[in-house]
Amino acid sequence: MNSIQRKIMSLSVIVLFIMAIIWVVLTYYNQKTQEQYNEVLQRYLRMNEMTNLSQQTIASLNVYLLQPTANTLDAFHVTTERILQANNEIAKLRTADNGFTLTNYMHMIESLVEAENRSVMFHDQKNNEFSAARFEEATRIHNYIVETTLSLIDKDLKTYDHFYRSIMAQSTELKRLGVWLLTFITVTLLLFAYWFSRSITMPIHKLTVAARELARGKFEQRIEVHSNDEISFLARTFDRMRININDLISEIHRTAQLELELKESKLLLKESQLRSLQSQINPHFLFNTLDTLSKKAYLEGSLETSDLIANVAGLLRYNLRRLDRSVTLREEVNVVLKYIEIQQARFADRLRFVQQVDERWLHVHLPCLTLQPIIENAVIHAVEPLEEGGTIVFRILSEDGERVRIEIEDSGAGMAPEQVQRMLEEQPQERGNAQGHSTGIGFSNVVKRLRLFTGVEDVLEIDSGLQQGTKVTLKIPVA
Amino acid sequence: MRQLAIAALSIGFLILFYFTLHAAYKLFASDLPVPGQELAAEADSRAYRLVVITQELDTPFWLQVKKGALSAAAQRGASLEMWGTYSSDRKEFLKQIEIAIASKVDGIIVQGLNTPEFTYLTKIKAAGSGIPILTVANDVPMNDSLRRTYVGSDHLAAGRMIARQLIEDMGSSGKVVLMVSDRQEDYQRSRLKGILEVLKAYPQVKTEIVASGDEKDAVVSATDDLLNTQPDAKAFIAVAANHASIIIQEIEKRSRVEPYYIYAFDDSPETMTLLKQSKIDALVAQSPELMGELSVKLMTEWLDGKVVPLNPDGYFTQVRVLRAGEAE
Repeated sequence: MNSIQRKIMSLSVIVLFIMAIIWVVLTYYNQKTQEQYNEVLQRYLRMNEMTNLSQQTIASLNVYLLQPTANTLDAFHVTTERILQANNEIAKLRTADNGFTLTNYMHMIESLVEAENRSVMFHDQKNNEFSAARFEEATRIHNYIVETTLSLIDKDLKTYDHFYRSIMAQSTELKRLGVWLLTFITVTLLLFAYWFSRSITMPIHKLTVAARELARGKFEQRIEVHSNDEISFLARTFDRMRININDLISEIHRTAQLELELKESKLLLKESQLRSLQSQINPHFLFNTLDTLSKKAYLEGSLETSDLIANVAGLLRYNLRRLDRSVTLREEVNVVLKYIEIQQARFADRLRFVQQVDERWLHVHLPCLTLQPIIENAVIHAVEPLEEGGTIVFRILSEDGERVRIEIEDSGAGMAPEQVQRMLEEQPQERGNAQGHSTGIGFSNVVKRLRLFTGVEDVLEIDSGLQQGTKVTLKIPVA
Repeated sequence: MRQLAIAALSIGFLILFYFTLHAAYKLFASDLPVPGQELAAEADSRAYRLVVITQELDTPFWLQVKKGALSAAAQRGASLEMWGTYSSDRKEFLKQIEIAIASKVDGIIVQGLNTPEFTYLTKIKAAGSGIPILTVANDVPMNDSLRRTYVGSDHLAAGRMIARQLIEDMGSSGKVVLMVSDRQEDYQRSRLKGILEVLKAYPQVKTEIVASGDEKDAVVSATDDLLNTQPDAKAFIAVAANHASIIIQEIEKRSRVEPYYIYAFDDSPETMTLLKQSKIDALVAQSPELMGELSVKLMTEWLDGKVVPLNPDGYFTQVRVLRAGEAE
């Protein structure tokens, strides 16, 4: 669970373990060596003790011979007892090298005790001469014992010489091992600690960098941390937070955009409503009057005038309806045709209108009053100023079935590219131009509404050049 | 760069690891050879403990004896030690015998020494403690020492052999000087006896027995005296082993050695060299290695109770005369 804690704990445990092992090994070796030293020392001490004991027996015997009392006899017996006991002990000192000498040695001590006992025996029998001879013999044997002790120790020294050297060599080896081990463990631990601390700090470092990026507002970069501890969890959480923030920010952006668009469209609507209100002096009065005029003309047999007036009335009604609703292309085309009819009555042969309408696409929706201002624009610029009049070609077609192309082509003087650009950038025309429009709706208004309605920037194309005529193309999405 | 560093670190790590392992291995491999109580050593204590005691430790002759004795002891599983003194230190020699007796060894093989102390030790103490004694190389009279037997050369026969060789070389007339040690030991007496026995048959051969001390100076002055007082001496027999070379040295100071007939006992390297140079005309070679072997063999057999009793006259090992020119 607590992965970092576990890592630190395991490192500590490993270090502790290694140290404990080294400590145990060193202690074990030390102890072993010490025990061996001790053992060797014990041997010497024991051998030396034999010499002392043998000396004591001689001394106690001497005391007894000089003062033969029960006490001194007891003392003598005690010492001989002790030396015989020690003699049994000394058999343990046997090695491969000193076996012969040691056996001799033990027998010598027996001989010593025998000689001494015999001396005591002769003394008890008042045979002082023999007793003295035995005592002398015992003294000689004691001297032999001393010598043999020395030779035993000497033999031991020889026997243990190799052993001592081995111990020395071993301690040298131990020292060398210690140095190597220290170096090895130091290096290993340093490496391990480096790797280990990296494994903790690297993810943190990555996280820091990522946080800095986030603070700078770059929300796109993924936060990736490969680690098996809490940091990776932290990184994942952080990454999720980043994504959430990113989403939120784009949402806010979108909302702001929408609000802006909404505001704009409201503004445009208000403008067009204002315009239409200006001409809305008394719509019912105007309709009724026009209706009456149309009927009157019809009754007077002037069918053409009657139709013209009816067209004007229709156009006016269409113009007065709510502009914020979309209409079908069919209705738009009807309005265009009414308008053309009115204008043809005005311009007669000077206005040539050609229409190529694909009926299949007439169900497509588009904002109200979009085509009529463009046609009117064409009439104003391509027909009105010219004596010989002009031709307006109106086409509805679709090439791919996804967008409907509505083309309005005139044969007028055309425009300079800068002007085309200005029109596409929705800059309002000079006031004079707009005033010529029957509906009071300018080209820029149309462009803006189209763009807002479709959400497509290139919904409108203007293909024009000086003396080449102008071709306005609308591309309305079918769905 | 990073890869390089990692590689370098790994290599360093491995090298360190290797050295550490190596050091550890060496430490654990160097097992301490604790000369502890071995069972074999324990078994040794039940084997016969024999001691060979000589007055002439580490002389070529006794080294041969030692070799034979040790190999025989090893064959029979007995433990054997060679004790003794250098340069005939009698006091020390007797002390060694006493130590051996006090140590209650199973058997003592000793170079015989014809002195009352030696007799006392062997007769009273060794026999009193029930320790068998064999004499080797040099004998002592059986009755004095209560030795079990003697193993070594038959010195009487050796004396006879050298005397016969002398007659053969010199002819049946002339003056013969017999150099003996003033410490008339049994083997010298036997040799002398053998020589005189043979020479008795030749009345033309006059013998002159010269005794001198064992020290070099004593031998030198004795030889000088001899050459001065007996200018007509034709032959010298060095009855004591180490006299021959000194005699030759002294003769060489005055004249050539070849006209003299010089004989010696014991085939030490020194006498062998002189023999090869034809300065010594002949010498009696003994078989020391066989002596060692045989003495140990007889002792263990006696202790085992296989050969009881041992032949009190002794077991003679081979002696042979080596003549100048024949020597290999």
